[in-house]
Amino acid sequence: MNSMHDTSRRRALKLLGAAGAVAGAISFGALLPPSAARAQALGMPLEDEKVADTMKRLFGGRTVQDAGERIKVDAPLIAENGAVVPIKVDAELPMAPDKYVKNIYIIADKNRRPLNAKFSLTPEAGKASIATNVRLASTSDVRVIAEMSDGTLYGVTREVKVTVGGCGG
Amino acid sequence: MSVGQVRIRVPEKAKQGEVVTVRVLVTHPMETLQFKDGKPVAKQYNFIHRVEATYNGKKVFEAELTQAVSQNPLIAFPVKVNEPGTVKVTFYETTGKTYTGEAQIKF
Repeated sequence: MNSMHDTSRRRALKLLGAAGAVAGAISFGALLPPSAARAQALGMPLEDEKVADTMKRLFGGRTVQDAGERIKVDAPLIAENGAVVPIKVDAELPMAPDKYVKNIYIIADKNRRPLNAKFSLTPEAGKASIATNVRLASTSDVRVIAEMSDGTLYGVTREVKVTVGGCGG
Repeated sequence: MSVGQVRIRVPEKAKQGEVVTVRVLVTHPMETLQFKDGKPVAKQYNFIHRVEATYNGKKVFEAELTQAVSQNPLIAFPVKVNEPGTVKVTFYETTGKTYTGEAQIKF
């Protein structure tokens, strides 16, 4: 990831966020036409944010319970190439029609935009198990959070060491 | 390999009520943020932002992807099969294009 951040822009965005502007709606601010800044236009990346802001945006103030053994995350301890980091999630959580795993989030703390992917499941899936390849910018904690249909959150955190960052730019 | 080629892998045979894992691979660059003089370049980026899967027409899985998903995304998801049928996976690109792939699950 490029280390030449425009710190003043970062600070300005942060201030805007603190001022109560809708976190998800601030795009590149001045860089984009007003219409694009208002709603996240297709093809525009989300704005840079800290992982705490991501958590707040996705889950509000809800606390994430430690899933312990119930969520198994298969991720490499050391990823030589941050551009392709295989992540496999196996959640031993109920998948009954009245209580099931609705969403699984993969969040990389140190990524410029921490949310990697969100997977939505239905009870028809039968089990909460997904796998994908993600990009990691640098050595970082990777959080996997399962959101149940009743709003309960279970999460686990894994550290993945990255030799070469994989977010381009 | 051309962009948008969807390849799906399912088990050869399944039993009724079994949870099968469907693995999908799509050839796609998944463009990341570009920088010029330390500033992000404002332009439309071409990446897959949504994936949807149906089994016999019924939605079973959906995912929202970001640019933090690798090039040529590989996604695996479970489907509980109660009858033989077709699993259909659609990828939505930010340019508006969609890519679809299908696979048969036999009993």
